[in-house]
This record gives sequence, structure tokens and C-alpha cells, in this order.
Amino acid sequence: MIRKNKRIILEDHQNQFLYKKKKSNLDISFNRIAFIFFIFFIFFFIYTIHLVHLGSRKAKVELNENNTKIINNNYRADIIDNNGEYLVKTVSSIDIGISTQKVIDKKKLIINLKYIFPNKNYNEIEKKLDDKNFFWFEKKISEENYEKIMKLGDKSIQPEQKIIRIYPQKNLFSHIIGQIDDDNNGISGLEKSLDEKLKNNQSPIKLTVDKDIQFLVRKELIRFNKIFDSKGSAAILMNVNNGKILSLVSLPDFDPNKREKISDVNFINRATKGVYEFGSVFKTFTLAAAFSENIIEPQTEFANLPKLLTCAGFPIREYDDKIPKNLTAEQILIRSGNVGSVKIGQKIGEEKFKLFLSRIGLLETINFDIQEVGKPIKFNWGKCPLATASFGHGITTTLLQLVKAYAIIVNGGYDVKPIIINTDKKFKKEKILKNDVSKKILPILRKIVTTKEGTASLANVKGYEIGGKTGTAQKSIAGSYSKKKINTFVSVFPTSKPKYVLAVMLDEPKTNKDYVYNYRDGSNIKYKGTPFNTAGWTAVEVTGQIVEKIGPILATKYSEVN
Amino acid sequence: MIKLSVIFLIFSLILTTALVKNSTKRIDDEIFTTKEHIRSLKQDFESMKLENNYLSSAEKLNEFQNLFFDEELVKKDIFQINMIKLTNNQVIIKQFKLIND
Repeated sequence: MIRKNKRIILEDHQNQFLYKKKKSNLDISFNRIAFIFFIFFIFFFIYTIHLVHLGSRKAKVELNENNTKIINNNYRADIIDNNGEYLVKTVSSIDIGISTQKVIDKKKLIINLKYIFPNKNYNEIEKKLDDKNFFWFEKKISEENYEKIMKLGDKSIQPEQKIIRIYPQKNLFSHIIGQIDDDNNGISGLEKSLDEKLKNNQSPIKLTVDKDIQFLVRKELIRFNKIFDSKGSAAILMNVNNGKILSLVSLPDFDPNKREKISDVNFINRATKGVYEFGSVFKTFTLAAAFSENIIEPQTEFANLPKLLTCAGFPIREYDDKIPKNLTAEQILIRSGNVGSVKIGQKIGEEKFKLFLSRIGLLETINFDIQEVGKPIKFNWGKCPLATASFGHGITTTLLQLVKAYAIIVNGGYDVKPIIINTDKKFKKEKILKNDVSKKILPILRKIVTTKEGTASLANVKGYEIGGKTGTAQKSIAGSYSKKKINTFVSVFPTSKPKYVLAVMLDEPKTNKDYVYNYRDGSNIKYKGTPFNTAGWTAVEVTGQIVEKIGPILATKYSEVN
Repeated sequence: MIKLSVIFLIFSLILTTALVKNSTKRIDDEIFTTKEHIRSLKQDFESMKLENNYLSSAEKLNEFQNLFFDEELVKKDIFQINMIKLTNNQVIIKQFKLIND
């Protein structure tokens, strides 16, 4: 048997074995490209996110003082009235200047200019070409001439675009619109208060005023300024339910197209800026405050009213001796009793009366769309001041505030803010007066116009149910009362459901012996001559004439038709 | 085959993009031209409106009345203004007034 020797060798290769993925040059380069691609992708992704972020960001207008806003000085928005008619229009114009240093051929330039503008004095222009470095050749040229002159292709001709503000209604809205200076900045009226808005707003700014109503109101005021030889006058017509002002006139006024510098104080805006004592129109507030506080009722009787009261040595007497000594609260207002009003005021008390006047916006400066508003003179309250304020003596305010206060009293006691810029915002109704003040006061205001005892029968225009209160106040000059007067009539119509308040104020009216009054009580009685320069004979007559003229417009344009 | 289809896809995308861009540019041009037309028409309209506002202003109308119409244009009283209302084929004439009935 053959024995084979076999040797088995066992080797341990455990530590020598390594698993390695087969690598090729191609794999290595792919990884590098992928890496580079990844880096690019990351950058691309970051920038995409950044771009999306920038694109979706809302434009923020910084209004910080340090961050000046870019304003286009060659733009100013138009202003239109309630019916979309232009009150102010911006028209661009081009001025042509000549830079004499850039003129190459003087003779050729003059021949060309003569062809386009044959009527100019070319001797003077030749002199200017020799003497000056630059001069304005023609201002506000037409588009046709602009095209012609630019086609000359002369480098010395330098056009400059400017804007012209046109006021097609001339004086009609001068106190509302105001003026701008040569640098396109508003200096008064809405031009001033809306300066920035006008420079940025792309669409026209719509006002609440009506051009036709404004015209008629102004026309009547001008007519009666001549009749009563007054120093000035003002009128405001406002919707009592939303505070929209349909007309605001102050005389004398000015033509903003002339761009004159007005320094005469008589041109003050009497409707908003002028602060006056309005007299007896305040008696309505005394009675309204008493109704609001539930102190008296219209039929509450006041017996044995004296003809004369004295307070701190000063007499308080009735303006009319025929006023009976026994009167109801209603009759006190109808007959405009001073003593009766003092008694009502004393019943209310200083704090409550002060609070009431403040609530209806008479004592503080009013916040209005126009910056030219007057600040009522600070009233030092006390026993005697309470007595005098009860019949409107010594206490001051503006005509605009008077209109606002009357609107609140007659609209159901809801707060109202006079506005002149039309807004789509719905008027929020906030009741500030209690106890049906309007329901109690309106029949009394109507009786002032309809009854013989009332002081405003000349305003009883048929079809409008006018109610209101007159006020004749002596003007205070240098701390003492003069014989000059402020006559006011604040009317409300129609009294069955008030829609409008119209306040008319005449500054220093005088009597007129030739003016003929037509009584509106159906008697066809005519009365020649103004017996007294009191509101009942002046402001009331003006109101009657105004309502007669504007009434058809109010009825057809501004009444809701079912 | 895949390569060919990818190339074809890319080529067709480039072509479509070029066509779309071209037509967009044309539409953009048209929009620009129309806008310019509107702008100039708007300017004309505003100028006409200004002229109309001026010539039809109450002051001018009064002037024209004195010049051409004498007594033809008269103020209407509120009681002479009526409102025509058509309800159920019936014409109702109502008076305009501020006072509520």
C-alpha cells in the first residue's frame, strides 16, 4: 500500500482581506461634478429664495423724517366737486430758454425763431443773446410751437416743463382751495392741508361741495353785502346726518389764478377761521342742555321774569320791552328772551352747561380738513359768565362749530364731524345727547320762523319747512363792545326730518332805506326799508333768498327718490 | 433612441420658448401702444372736460343768458318741478320736495 504523504497548510488570511469597491477614473470625475453641481445648486437655491422674498415683499413707505420721500414736483392732483366737475386742474406747460453760449449761428437761429414766433421783439432778443448767458425766450408755449422749435435741433434751445394750476371757478372756492406758491407748495386752504397727498395721489381728490349751490350762495351773499353794506359775510350749508359740507362761502374772496399775496385781514375765512360772539343763537344750546339734562320741558313755566338783572354790576336786560314776564321755556326761545335764558342757564348749572357745550364741540378748536380754523377764546367760567353765556354773550366760537352744534341738536343727538373731502367711509352714528332733544327743540325752531312772535318770519319759504334761530351780537373791539354788529341766522330744514343746516353770518351790516321786503306769510305785504340792522332783518332775509334759489337743486339732486 | 428623444425635447422646448417670447413681445408692444393711445385720449378728454366745465359754469351761463337768451331762461320754482315715475305701465307724476309726506 502506497502511502501518500500529504501536508495540509492552514494560512490565516483574515487580517489581509479587504473589501474594496472597484474604482475607475470615471467615477471619481462624476463625484467631483456632482459636488460642484451641488455647490451651484445651493447658491442657486439661496438666490431663488432671496428673489422670491424680494418679489413678495410689500412696498413700505418710510415716513421717517430722516428718510425723505421722493416727490414729483411736476405733478399735482386735480380737485373735483361732488359732481366730478373741476375745481382745480393741473396743466403742464413748457418754457423755452436759450443758453447763449451754445449758440453756433446767431443769424440762423434768429431767422428760424422769427419764422415760428413772428410777433416778438427781436432787437431785444439779439441784445440778450449778446449780453446774457441764459434767458427765457418764451413761457407757456403751445404744443404745436414746442414741436416746431424742437425740430430746429439747436442745442442752445432749452425746454423746461412746468405745471400750471388752473382754477376754472375763479373766486368761487378760493377760501376752500387756497393757493400754491411758485415752487408748487400749498400755502393755504386744501392746497396746504393736502399738499403731500396732492403731490402723490394719481386720481383727483373729490370734495363734498357742489359748484352750482356754491355759486348761488355766493351770488346772494355778494348781493346782500352791497344791500346792507357789510364788511364781509359767510355761509355754510351742511348735511346734518353725515357732516358733508355742500357749500362754504366767505366774503370777500380772491381769484387764486392771479396768485396775489393777500395780507389784508378782511380776507380772513369768516366761515372757519373767524372767531365771533354770535349772540342769541346760543340760547338754543341753553334750552337743549336743559332738555338733555331733563331739567325742564318745553312747556315749563317761568313766572315773574324781571326786565332787568344785574351781575357783578353789569345789567342784563331784554332787547325788547314787550316780552311778557310770564313765559314757558318754549316761548323764551321763540321770543329770544335774555332773562329767561339766564334763568334756564342757572337751573342747568355751570358744570353741566360747560360739559354740554364742550360735547357738541363749541369750546375747543375743531379738527377740520382745512388748516385755517379759529380757536375759540378761552372762557372764564363763573356765576356771571354762566349767566351771559346762557344768552350767547361773552362766549366765542367759529361759524363752522356753530353749524356742527346745530346739526347735532337737530339730527337726533348724534355726533357729526364736518367734512369737505368726500369719503366712502360710512358715517358712524354715536349718540351724544339724551332725552329726545331734537324732538323737543325742532318744533320750537320752526315756530321762530312761523309765528308772529318769532324773529325769523322772513325765512318762511314755502315748501322747505325752515326752522332756526337768529343772533345779533355787538362786536368786541379792543376789549369793549362797539355799535358794530355780527348778525347770524342758523336755519335747519325741513324741520319734520332735518337734512340741512344753513348758517348765514353778516359782518357789520347796516340798514338800507330802499330795500323792499316781501313777507312770505301769504299776505303779499311789502315793506320798504330796513328798520334795524338786526339778524331778523338781515341774515334771515339772506337765508330766505338763498333757500329759495338752492332748494330746487337740493330737492332734485340730493333727495332720495323712491 | 433616448438620446435622440432628449435632444428633440430640448430643441422643441427652445423653439416653443422662442415662439412664446416672440408673441409676448408683440402683445407687449400692442399693450404699450394702446396705453399710449389711452394716455393721449385721456389728456384730450381732460382738456375738453376742463373747457366744458368752464363754459358751462354758472357764471358763464348767466353771461350767455344775458347775451343771447334775454328772458328765455328763467328760474324754476320747486313747485314747478315734477318727477315722472313709471310703475306697472302707469305714468305717475310726483312733485319734488324736501318735505316728507
